[in-house]
Amino acid sequence: MSEHPTTSWQAMQNGTVFYRRQQLYSILGKLPDLGDYIIAGCRYGGPLAMMRDNTKLIAVGRATPAHAKSQIQVYSSAGEGLLLFSWDHSRIIRFGWTLNEQLVVLNEEGVYRVYDLQGDYQQYSLGSEASEVGVVDARIHENGMVALTGSLTLLEVKGWEGTRPMTLANPNVTDPPLSWAVIPPDSNISRHVEVLLSVENTIYTVDNLESVDQRLSQGPFTHVSPSPNGKSLALLSASGTLLVISSDFQRRMAEFDTLNVPSAQGNVKQVEWCGNDAIVVTWESLAVLVGPFADTLQYYYVGNTFAITETDGVRIFGADVCDLIQKVPVSTLSIFRPGSTSPAAILYDAWESFTQRSPKTDESIRSIRPELAAAVDGCIDAAGQEWEPYWQRRLLSTAKFGQGFLDFPNPTDFINMGQTLKVLNAVRYYEIGIPLTYSQYSYTSPTHLISRLTSRNMHLLALRVSTFLSLKPDEVLKHWASAKIMRTRPVASGTGKEAELDSDDEVCRLIVDKFKQLGGVEVSYAEIAKRAWEVGRTGLATKLLDYEKRASDQVPLLLSMKEDRLALKKAVDSGDTDLVYQVLLHLHKHLTLGSFFRLIEDGGEHLALASRLLQVYAREQDRDMLRDFYYSDDRRVESAVLALEEASRMVDPTARISAVKSAQKFFSEDKDRGFEAKMMDESARLLTFQQQLEAEADGKVVFFSQSVNETIRTCILNGMLKRADKIKSDFKVPDKRFWYTKMYALTEVRDFEGLDAFSKSKRSPIGYEPFVRHLVEKGHSKEAVAYVARCDPPKRADLYAECNEWRMVGKECKDRGDKAKLQQLRKNCPNSLIARELEQIAMSMK
Amino acid sequence: MSAEDQQNAELPLDTNLLKEISKKALVDALNSVHGSKTLVLDPSLAGPLGLVTEVALLKHHGVDKMYWLERGPLSSSTTNIVYLCRPLVNYVKIIADHIKRHAKESSKHNYTLLLVPRLSSLVSRLLEEEGVLGDITISAYNLQFLPIADDVISLEYESAFKDIWVDGDESVVYDSAQALITLQKLFGLFPRLLGKGDYAARLINLLTTYLTQSHDSSTADTLLEPSSNFDSLVVIDRRVDMITPLLTQLTYEGLIDELLGIRNSHVELPASLVNPPSNVSADTAAAPPAATSSTSLRKENKKKYHLTSSDSLFKELRDLNFSNVGKQLNGVARRLDDDYKTSLQSKTTAQLRDFVERLRGRLYSEHQSLRIHTGVSELLVPMTRTEQFNKSLEIQQNLLASYNISDQISSIEELIAKGADIETVVRLLCLASITLGGIKVKALDNIKREFLQAYGYDFLPLLLSLAAPSLAILLPNPLPPSTPSAVQASKFPFASLRKSLRLLIDDNPEALDEVENDISFVYSGYAPISVRLVQCVAQKGGVLSNPAEKEKTLAPDGSKKSNADGKVQAHPIVGWKGFEDILATLPGKTVDETQNPVGVIAPLGGIARPKNKTTTTVVFFLGGCTYTEIAALRWVARQNRGRNFLIATTGMITGSSIVEGIAGIQKATAGAKDAGI
Repeated sequence: MSEHPTTSWQAMQNGTVFYRRQQLYSILGKLPDLGDYIIAGCRYGGPLAMMRDNTKLIAVGRATPAHAKSQIQVYSSAGEGLLLFSWDHSRIIRFGWTLNEQLVVLNEEGVYRVYDLQGDYQQYSLGSEASEVGVVDARIHENGMVALTGSLTLLEVKGWEGTRPMTLANPNVTDPPLSWAVIPPDSNISRHVEVLLSVENTIYTVDNLESVDQRLSQGPFTHVSPSPNGKSLALLSASGTLLVISSDFQRRMAEFDTLNVPSAQGNVKQVEWCGNDAIVVTWESLAVLVGPFADTLQYYYVGNTFAITETDGVRIFGADVCDLIQKVPVSTLSIFRPGSTSPAAILYDAWESFTQRSPKTDESIRSIRPELAAAVDGCIDAAGQEWEPYWQRRLLSTAKFGQGFLDFPNPTDFINMGQTLKVLNAVRYYEIGIPLTYSQYSYTSPTHLISRLTSRNMHLLALRVSTFLSLKPDEVLKHWASAKIMRTRPVASGTGKEAELDSDDEVCRLIVDKFKQLGGVEVSYAEIAKRAWEVGRTGLATKLLDYEKRASDQVPLLLSMKEDRLALKKAVDSGDTDLVYQVLLHLHKHLTLGSFFRLIEDGGEHLALASRLLQVYAREQDRDMLRDFYYSDDRRVESAVLALEEASRMVDPTARISAVKSAQKFFSEDKDRGFEAKMMDESARLLTFQQQLEAEADGKVVFFSQSVNETIRTCILNGMLKRADKIKSDFKVPDKRFWYTKMYALTEVRDFEGLDAFSKSKRSPIGYEPFVRHLVEKGHSKEAVAYVARCDPPKRADLYAECNEWRMVGKECKDRGDKAKLQQLRKNCPNSLIARELEQIAMSMK
Repeated sequence: MSAEDQQNAELPLDTNLLKEISKKALVDALNSVHGSKTLVLDPSLAGPLGLVTEVALLKHHGVDKMYWLERGPLSSSTTNIVYLCRPLVNYVKIIADHIKRHAKESSKHNYTLLLVPRLSSLVSRLLEEEGVLGDITISAYNLQFLPIADDVISLEYESAFKDIWVDGDESVVYDSAQALITLQKLFGLFPRLLGKGDYAARLINLLTTYLTQSHDSSTADTLLEPSSNFDSLVVIDRRVDMITPLLTQLTYEGLIDELLGIRNSHVELPASLVNPPSNVSADTAAAPPAATSSTSLRKENKKKYHLTSSDSLFKELRDLNFSNVGKQLNGVARRLDDDYKTSLQSKTTAQLRDFVERLRGRLYSEHQSLRIHTGVSELLVPMTRTEQFNKSLEIQQNLLASYNISDQISSIEELIAKGADIETVVRLLCLASITLGGIKVKALDNIKREFLQAYGYDFLPLLLSLAAPSLAILLPNPLPPSTPSAVQASKFPFASLRKSLRLLIDDNPEALDEVENDISFVYSGYAPISVRLVQCVAQKGGVLSNPAEKEKTLAPDGSKKSNADGKVQAHPIVGWKGFEDILATLPGKTVDETQNPVGVIAPLGGIARPKNKTTTTVVFFLGGCTYTEIAALRWVARQNRGRNFLIATTGMITGSSIVEGIAGIQKATAGAKDAGI
């Protein structure tokens, strides 16, 4: 039987709040002396990364590494070595952990690598500016980092995909800050990162917009530490005063003098948070927990310590133990607090009586009947908070026992908690070494846990956990397959049997079979194939890629594998035009123009989309390339259209004419385009003639690039009637169109005499009605009247009406004896006077 | 199923959800940039954005100033500059130019580029070539379907038609598929996919392959089962029915679009018409005077007016044949007048107060909208009286009836001689070519020559595009021997369709005006093929005969009650059944697929569904649709119980907008430097 939970409790604030110190692992002798190392701890029970602190002297001994090269060691919370790699770049400035348990290592040149737990890494850079001035310090948080450059500016990196760093507002400080910290975007109210710099006596807060002096006077501060939820700050001044304030600097929450701690020796090592409401200040072999009201609890350790803030507590490593110190959760407190009379406590008591076959059970249950459901929930929750399976089981039994008395028991929570605890106990096992608490697990989600397991190459456990929690095994399988490919790297010196086993077909079959067997059909084969390609197994990659259904995943890999035609085909098939562009642009860059064109042309109908998209792109961006493309494919019509398009943009007349002529030439080379060639010939002739016209008009009139009709019109507007006639004959303008055009133009210049002469020059091919209508439309009713008489007799009455010549309407109708028409038109007449007149005429008719 | 459920089912889908999503995405995109920012906007996006949000919201999210994205320097007082545009080469160059200028002036800015609707590797590459890729953060703003009426959602792509059938750029098809997938994510899977036309087939193919490819973890639950809201998706590829957009639309809204132009549900009207006369009410006049006095300097001041479904009068009018609009307006005017009169007789003060309340509220707004729509009709009437308009209508009707063909061609020639609009002429020419199966070579060459001389030789590429195999709507007859076989095969069987799909209603025209008893009312006697095809799926009876007419003969007393309740329950969707032969004669692929969720095999014969539940048929017009088609589909929806239509389109088009798009004619847009939405 494990000790009673309360044995690890310690009271604070007159016994209303308890903190407990839970020993997670015994790590005696597993870790080197923490004092000699620079350490970065990963939250949520994650591992420790350690690097030898070169500023410290070390006794030469057996354990001392012989070489001076930087080396980073990673240990799990249980002290198991996970990874060891050496660093051969320039000096490491900082390392830290991402949310996904990847280790970020940044050097003084602004180059950073993101390592996974297998030692594979991606390398990124903070940009040229950072590498020039150098990086002096950085703060790495879960989803990004902020680097302090040599010129004391701040660069922010968001995410870990190598995004371009953003420059934050310049803090304008002259010396590097004494200490500094960042509040990550997630826990900041503005959702953007905030940097806290301890400068002189005060703190500067810097974000991407501004740098603000918060005007504190107690500084300088040697430690700045924001709480996990970003709402409070713990500041330790050089004079040893610990100050707790809200992160908006509006409220001061607590003050505590660290110099008064009796057994503290030397300097404060760390100021970390324990959850969001208490602070841990560590010295060598001592950790002091400072509560919200400056009450303290002291914990002694052997040797140097290292503390890691967790969202619900703090993990402390000593030389021999790894502890979790946290506030005792409410549910646990209400059950186990001595003298507690809460329903949950009574339920627990009842269950204990029941196991001892005591009749007290019944009485207890009765007394809490109304709150029984809450009591059951309390027990379930408390079970989740316990570390020891013994107590978990007892509390869950209590809950189950209590449920029996409920009218409508709902076992969902109970079952979930049981499952969760099973998983948590499994990963807390020292060989796995992930001391995850229930609330951390709820916060980070089961899938996160699974990815952490896979990144440790614990595929079987991960698979079992995911099946147990009925999650999709995709991620696990994907990781497994990548690992499999890495492991089965063909070795040249392999014996016959091994070589056979490791052959591409075999591995591919293994992977595909495993996926099918486990139903992981949604696994992206492209990612695995990429992995295979990266390790140089092109054959395997091609085979795996065949299983990929999504073109957007296939194509980039195919491109990097130089499978150009296949990549283009897949992209076209996908219908995703952007993907096609991706391929086209890539190929355009990497192939010679000739083979690039050939690739597209040879594709024929199948690659028509690619060919068309290339034309769309080239028309806007690269006309020379388009011209070559059309030329190489003998596309005369397209070449001609391209020439025309260019012509329409040209200002210089001669260039334009020659462009039109070249279009004409292209058309004439295609025997089906005789009409177009002829038109272009006309066009070129017209342009030349227009140049001539402009010269005749002393450059005062613009003719160039007008249409035939417009040219005629412009000639007439400017009195060049002869020229208009010449155009008519030169370009074989039909009479009708010429008459309309000329009539419109003469009306426009109000040359009514000219119009009259024109109308009489010969019999109008368009009749005279259009004259009347057009003149009326343009507001020249008076001039229009004259033409009515020359129109068809039956229409005259209507036309007179349109010209507002009502007397003539009457006369016309009378002459023609059309009484019905008269009656009809009379309805439209403008005033009664005319109406009466028309009425009279109508009367006079029979 | 409970009664309440059934009632809910009767309501059409809430398309406003789409608007809210777009709005939220915009706000999120803006908030991702910290602090105040200058927004530089693609002018073609201003309209669509106006449907999503208002300037106040942008201001609220830190937008300090807004500019159009156009050539020339950009001076910004804020550090952050946010560009919002479609991924066009042109825009990228302007942006690169801005950045370079700023670098030269050494003014430091943070640039963010929001691409609509998704990221583009083309843009990244261009920015890289310009050497500014490192200075700009690129992300996407996924603007998809926007509700432009209760039952119409649109992607508001202006150039969709040209992109697909002239340039061969299928981005629109892909984006449409993405947008339809979003729709499915919201409301569930379309149980059945029907389509006509090659690109419709392509789109449906993209939809189905997406499902098989999607990774389960990222798949929304709604994609796992067929929707109970939808009964099918019908995709009509614009190429399948080119006739409809070429005709002049004759409904009220269609005519407004033809003659005044509707952009993003807004029409530009003379300001005097939109602004209420200032003496009507003091409080409305208080705000705008400053604006009106400053702008009245310009001669013809135009103002944008939003045509919305919330305007109840417009809702009544928009789908009417224009010949009936006057009557309707008259009726409303009379009713309003009566309302005023009865209230003048009100005796007690309570009655009077009640009247005043109404006057301020409903009556006032109704009065306003009556004034505006009367004004609009007054604008339209003279335009419909012009010779060109009537001549063009006459030619259209004759061509549809294949009446006196050679005369029609010479009439078109005469229109050219008279200097008619280029759009009108091209529309008529194409219409002639489609309905006649090509124009006689000699006549065509002659008319093309006339055309080029009248409008300029620069339009030769336009004629070539119209004749190109992908579009093939202006062809000689017989086709030259060198034409690709695809073109020869895709000859449009208009004459047989006219009979089999009952396109022309030659009942006496007077009766037609009285009873809107067939979808052909939208073109005064011609039924759009596209909508007939939808009827082939969703209202099979309507293709064969006029249901309204039949009803009349069944209930000769014509009592209103029997009419209202006598609506037939819509038949279930059984694909093209019964019309396969007709569809086979139409060029382009025919698609009919049942869509099953991943890994689930549906029972044969489709999914059994409750009989009385109202379902929605989504009709997607790939390449744009006209207002007449919407009106016709609304009419179809009214005929049956249990089926709603949701009309989705890549954009609203008219024949003229198509022609302008291909010819590259640009209508002048507002050129103010400060952008307003």
